[in-house]
Amino acid sequence: MSFLYPMLEQQQPDAATLLADLAASAQAKAVESGRVCAGALADGEERLERAAVAIAIALQAGGRLLCFGNGGSATDAAGLAALFASPHSGQAVAARSLAADPAVLTALANDIGVDAIFARQLIAHGRAGDIALGLSTSGGSANVLRAFAEGRRRGLLTVGLAGYGGGAMAAGPDLEHCLAVDAQSVHRTQEAQSAVAYALWQRVQAHLEETP
Amino acid sequence: MTASTSVRPDAVGLPEGLPDDLASTSLALARRLHAGATMWCASPAWPHHAQHVAVEFVHPVIVGKPALPAVALPPIALTATARANARPGDVLLVIGPSDDAAIGDVLLRAPAWGVTTVWVGSGPRPAAGSADHVLWLPDDTNAAHDGRFILLYHLLWELAHVCLEHAGAGGELLAPAEACDGPVCITCSDEGRLAEVVRVSGTTARVRTADGSEDVDCTLVGPTSAYDLLVCHAGMAITRLVAT
Repeated sequence: MSFLYPMLEQQQPDAATLLADLAASAQAKAVESGRVCAGALADGEERLERAAVAIAIALQAGGRLLCFGNGGSATDAAGLAALFASPHSGQAVAARSLAADPAVLTALANDIGVDAIFARQLIAHGRAGDIALGLSTSGGSANVLRAFAEGRRRGLLTVGLAGYGGGAMAAGPDLEHCLAVDAQSVHRTQEAQSAVAYALWQRVQAHLEETP
Repeated sequence: MTASTSVRPDAVGLPEGLPDDLASTSLALARRLHAGATMWCASPAWPHHAQHVAVEFVHPVIVGKPALPAVALPPIALTATARANARPGDVLLVIGPSDDAAIGDVLLRAPAWGVTTVWVGSGPRPAAGSADHVLWLPDDTNAAHDGRFILLYHLLWELAHVCLEHAGAGGELLAPAEACDGPVCITCSDEGRLAEVVRVSGTTARVRTADGSEDVDCTLVGPTSAYDLLVCHAGMAITRLVAT
């Protein structure tokens, strides 16, 4: 890390040196983020297109998009659901986040366990033809994997966004579409996941426009 | 037909000036947090972004990094919730476009609460002075959705932690910037301080300013109501900026 922060080698950095190092580090990380995002979009183009077609077909047949994830991925799930349900342009479709309601989440976590917080909601709401879209930066979040298993059992289309090449998510039998990104850090992975999620929305919109 | 995947304009990095803005904002944030601040986060248009910032600071993804106090404010009743909770020395980080009225209102009032402000956004830049720190992506119209905002607050988190960990053995770089401490006569100076009305009694209003609360005479500005925003000088309200 010291190559990014030369001043860390110094005993007494002054403010100007610190600020210059911080700015240089910010720029280097932004370039890396752009590189990882562009790479994820290029490498995953075919998988992205297949997932977008499947989601568009499911939505046109009356399916609903149900998004979920933990922590930062929960906020990404909320952002993706909002993008689908109230887009700045294009067609609005039924989409929501399963991490949005603290009453439901705390009831399930408290009474059953955190592994059940998404799967249990799919038992309540999921119908064949709906879409279960889970995000996990590690690819290994147990409650996301359990939701995929439950979704598959109920005839939902299962789509996953993951870092680290997909992790356990990619290896499991329950996921029909795995959109994986590969980066060295959690932060760059999350940024690329968001870029992939936005590209997915763009492609779904394009298909919805083609076949109204 | 295959939809073309939009290529973001960031392949070369951040726009000119933004790395420096991130550096100075991170140091200012680290100084406030070091002094005990809470960072309040708000995004009326995209509440999930405010929540992402809060969870980033409270529960870092990198093991071993200290948890820091950050809270996502609700998009509804934003100003009221911020007013009730924010304390002098706190930080308010908002994410949204420059024409967001709810953001405009809370940023206008924050100086009267003694709160340092950071505005993250894209598109047309806010007017100069709208916030203490502005982190802006003028050309990234999809930044709210495609990971670019996430990149900005990830960098803010990363750089703030660098400041907290490495700003000198005694933390001397985290000491607050020195204020001018010479003898100044308030009556003779041009000092005008922002104040938010707490309650009114006749022509006197109890107001909240960055330095605490005080009573001011409102004869010059006329009838006044709670939450009006005033400019005060030497115990007198001289201008009303916002009537409630």
